Amino acid sequence: MNKLKLNPSSITFLPILVCIPLAYELFINFHIGGIELFKEFIISAINPKINNEIIFTLVKRLNETIFIAFSSWLISITFGVIFGILSSEIFYKILNLPIFLKRFLNLFLTFIRSIHEIIWGLILMQIYGINFSIGIIAICIPYVAINAKVFSEQIENINLKTIESIKEINGIKSSTLITLLWSPVIETFKNFGLYRLECAIRSTAVLGLFGVGGIGRSIFLSFQTLNFRELWTYLWGLAFLIIISKELLKKINLSKTSRKFLTSFVIALFCISLFSLSFFVYFIFNKNAMPFNSINNLLILNFNFISYEFLKLVLETIVLCLLSTGIAISFPPIFILILNNKIGITITRIISFLFRLIPPPVLILILLMFNDPSISLAAITLGLHNAAITSKLLLANLHNQDNKQYIAMKSLGVAKRSSWLFGLFIKQANSYLAYCAYRSDIIIRETAILGVIGSVGLGWQLQESLSSFAWEEVMVILFVYSSIAIIGELINGKIKSNLT
Amino acid sequence: MNNPLLELKEISYKNKNNFTLNKVSLRIKSGEKIALLGKSGAGKTTLISILNGTLRPNKGSVKLFNTEFDKLNLYQKSKISTIWQDLRLIEDLSAEQNVNCGLLGKRSFLYAFKNLLNISSFKKAHQYMQVCNLKKSIFSKNISKISGGQKQRVAIARSLIQESDILLADEPFNNLDPKLASNIKNLLLITKNKNKIKVPRTTLISLHRLDLLDGFNRIIGMKNGEILFDLEKTKLKKFHLNKIY
Repeated sequence: MNKLKLNPSSITFLPILVCIPLAYELFINFHIGGIELFKEFIISAINPKINNEIIFTLVKRLNETIFIAFSSWLISITFGVIFGILSSEIFYKILNLPIFLKRFLNLFLTFIRSIHEIIWGLILMQIYGINFSIGIIAICIPYVAINAKVFSEQIENINLKTIESIKEINGIKSSTLITLLWSPVIETFKNFGLYRLECAIRSTAVLGLFGVGGIGRSIFLSFQTLNFRELWTYLWGLAFLIIISKELLKKINLSKTSRKFLTSFVIALFCISLFSLSFFVYFIFNKNAMPFNSINNLLILNFNFISYEFLKLVLETIVLCLLSTGIAISFPPIFILILNNKIGITITRIISFLFRLIPPPVLILILLMFNDPSISLAAITLGLHNAAITSKLLLANLHNQDNKQYIAMKSLGVAKRSSWLFGLFIKQANSYLAYCAYRSDIIIRETAILGVIGSVGLGWQLQESLSSFAWEEVMVILFVYSSIAIIGELINGKIKSNLT
Repeated sequence: MNNPLLELKEISYKNKNNFTLNKVSLRIKSGEKIALLGKSGAGKTTLISILNGTLRPNKGSVKLFNTEFDKLNLYQKSKISTIWQDLRLIEDLSAEQNVNCGLLGKRSFLYAFKNLLNISSFKKAHQYMQVCNLKKSIFSKNISKISGGQKQRVAIARSLIQESDILLADEPFNNLDPKLASNIKNLLLITKNKNKIKVPRTTLISLHRLDLLDGFNRIIGMKNGEILFDLEKTKLKKFHLNKIY
């Protein structure tokens, strides 16, 4: 018998096996207690509430969302570029600076990146109370580090020979550096930076659920009062904002950018970095921070409270992450394979848009209408939300791909699904898996969101410790969270480098 | 003047357990036009990389203007320009921006910044590009969108605009048709030209095509990381070439 040989395509489909334990647990926890509410929720989607009062609130909340999301996006991109350059090896090579500075910076960035913006938001809210600035700072902290990582990876890809040839011209170091870094920075901004605005809008909406202003606050309040028609008005408003922002950003064609635009862009970056630095310093030292007695509280790690229960929560977090990743990887290709026609693809696009639109905390509350809380429920929530994101990328890549092989296979009489699999998907499998590896880094961090709303994992313990101002416990949880995220990131990094 | 412009003494360079250069000594005087011959893997690119300071030899010394290479300042180092075999242009910049990069050694940071923003003057770059037979239509085109031969000429224009004293070129005529290759070779070797552009007085060019040897006054033959012959062009015989090919 031949040995089983795994290739990227088969690895993409295999994680569907996580559905076996998930389906079992979801089946035994199934109930019909909230089925009427669920029906009402679905019907309300096509019958949202529209009146003067709600439109006024919607516009006001959208304005708040735009303000928080846009400010945090702009600041995080600016500092992402700066830290991306500072954490790339080329910077130290050209300026002849000691490389240990880069290692220190990378360690710091890895730590702040490993903690989700919701956790930063909750911590800052406990310290400084609720206000707009919390939303901006909470998003900026991990976003700066995430952006820095992406920018630095792209900068590291500069051909060594190009570096040599520019160095050989023997210009001043700053000129050499800017000439080498300019193109990768601009390209990364075009391909990745603009997309981060959409992420910032989603993060603002999720932070709103936890008290920071914006549309999320209204979504949460209308869900709490089971006012689904109102809830859908806000959700469609959020969808409108995401679509409009995406379309507007598409209009910015940087390859045909005018000189004026580029010059003002660079000046804007400079001004933003100065302004946000001064604002950050002002915020830290001028806000009332009564519950937060001393910085010393943040320097103490009390490991005494680690018990069997705590370790169980850690394990739950890891299992939740693995199950969600399995769903996020396998669902999109299977869905597209089964519904492989124009109508099927359109349905897949609509479903994936809805799952991206509804914030995971709201999604889990909807699923709780007919299921008891469990790891499986949390996993399916997080998995579906992330599968919606991976499916968007997969569909876009498949659409842009040359389909000659697919047409050739079909013309040979091969079945449509087999032609799709071997003529189209097989070429995408590698890069799709590499993206999923990156996505699983995000899933690890996102487990915190579901934990915080009382579902499973460490997030729940964090919420408890934060509520009782037990900063020593909070620091231990952050340390453990960060360790899980960093280990996950290292494993995913290995997988990514093997795939690409 | 007897002092050499560039001097290598007993240079050895080891790369991944193999000696790619073995005890090479070379003196290059001002005004010399040197052709470097040898099969692929003979060590020509390594020799050029050591001459321009990109590679550091494991043994021996490299001197420019009678000073150890490591002790040279940026201005002195900018007296050498190089045309690389693999061109090493910046793919995302336009042809004229790439040529302007050649001026980085003589201009300030602001110039580099303006060049990237596309708001610097391209007058000088255009002059050099025209001399290298590049048409106006490709000046502002992205490097990734022009042909191999055009890229080659952009790389040549970038090194000429540096107005260096010494030009090192690693097989610079590879992608050019015979007529164009001959024209460009003449441009690189003839210092006084009708185009009124400054061309380096001293050149060392590695070659594969023997039909381009006219105009050189010194020929160096390399094999297995060693210099097998180093003689005046007029003394080159067929048996010399048989030694290296």
